Amino acid sequence: MTINPDEIIFFQWNWFVINSTIFFTWLVMFLLTFGSWLITRNLTSKGPLSRWQNLLEVLITGIKGQIREVSRQEPGPYLPFIGTLFIYIAFSNILGIVPGFTPPTGSLSTTAALAISVFVAVPVFGIARQGILNYLQQYLQPTFFMLPFNIIGELSRTLALAVRLYGNIMSGTIIVAILLTITPLIFPVVMQALGLLTGLIQAYIFAILAMVYIASASQAHEEIQKKGEK
Amino acid sequence: MIIDWYTIIFQIINFLILVFLLRRFLYGPIISAMDDREQIIIQREEDAAAKKREAEKDSQAYIEKKEELEEKKEEILEEARTEAGKEKQEMLEEARRETGETRKRWEEAFEREKESFIAELRRRIGLQACSIARHCLEDLADSRLEELTWEVFLDKIGSMPAEERSSLQEAFASDGYKGVLKTTFEPSEEKLEGLKKALRDLAPDSDDEPDLSLKTDEGLVCGLELDTGGYRVAWSIDSYLEGVEERVLKELEEEAPSAQDGEVAEGGQTES
Repeated sequence: MTINPDEIIFFQWNWFVINSTIFFTWLVMFLLTFGSWLITRNLTSKGPLSRWQNLLEVLITGIKGQIREVSRQEPGPYLPFIGTLFIYIAFSNILGIVPGFTPPTGSLSTTAALAISVFVAVPVFGIARQGILNYLQQYLQPTFFMLPFNIIGELSRTLALAVRLYGNIMSGTIIVAILLTITPLIFPVVMQALGLLTGLIQAYIFAILAMVYIASASQAHEEIQKKGEK
Repeated sequence: MIIDWYTIIFQIINFLILVFLLRRFLYGPIISAMDDREQIIIQREEDAAAKKREAEKDSQAYIEKKEELEEKKEEILEEARTEAGKEKQEMLEEARRETGETRKRWEEAFEREKESFIAELRRRIGLQACSIARHCLEDLADSRLEELTWEVFLDKIGSMPAEERSSLQEAFASDGYKGVLKTTFEPSEEKLEGLKKALRDLAPDSDDEPDLSLKTDEGLVCGLELDTGGYRVAWSIDSYLEGVEERVLKELEEEAPSAQDGEVAEGGQTES
């Protein structure tokens, strides 16, 4: 039994390796993109909606609502990043129920990659929002001596983000594997169902935490007072 | 090693690509579609609000117009009512006047008719009364009455006032003392002589003998008539009867108007 899907190699040419994580990520990417393309190629603004469009609109509206609530800002600029985090993680975790599919989120590499993305995105959004000087000043708050602690805090939360997701998804997969060896019938199904739930919750937590970090880095509360909650 | 840096970099790239792809194929179209729909809905709401405003304006205008019409209707009705009342009054007046005129004309005609009828009736009554009297006297008249008549006649000549006496004298003289005596019955010689004597007494200084020719006339009811030179001395019941007749008719005519006045007054009261 392998804990790390990175070690399952599908294809190798010199240094170029396609392992399980990369392959299933591509699969998820393809399904999401193709599905989106299928649905969005004939969107309509008038009359009755197709149920797929309706589903996507509910999904997007939900994500926007969550971003707005957490960040107290207009969700527009954050939506692609946060939304993709959520959809990718959630879709990967849901597909984990399909036999033979190894969720890429079960790989620490993937979760680390996502955490690093968030780690980079935080200063990028912060600088884009309030300028580089204002952003860097945050590390000196409340005093200059807090700088190392702020930096450590930044790094540690990225690490925590990565490990939290990895641990949850991996544990789910491992628990099912262990249970299968002990009680091969029925009980694993329950655990699978539980896995679906934890998978979705993890996707939600990951996206929300990312949003919280980004929002804290780009404090623009005055904007909220102006626009208010929609 | 759980962390494979190769895979991490690959996954970061994959994730960024996925962000780009989803942005291109999912968020962009969906959000633009939602915005479009929102825009359409806002547009519709604005249209609806505009239409509602317009409708309210129209409705207000209609209400105002209706009220105006209502007012005008009331006015027109009032006017028509007044007009009709006036017309009615006029027509009533007209009818009343016409009726009054007709009535008056009719009453006048009736009055005339009545008057002529009453006049006729009166005349007839008078005539009839006199005729009855005459008839009675005719029945009573005989030679004895004639004798009495003679006496009265002679008395009349004898007691004539001086003026009449002289004018009779002159008329008698101008005719050569001739005269015509009309009587109902043949008089006796004695009576003739008496008359002649009375005539002679009129002119005592004349020698001429009066010459009288006799004529009997049944129409003289118990009377005598002496006609000479255009002068006539007569006495008969007939002449009295004529006087009576005249008086009776006059009496009746005088009495009639007072009775008529009462009737007219009564008619006037019923008119109003």
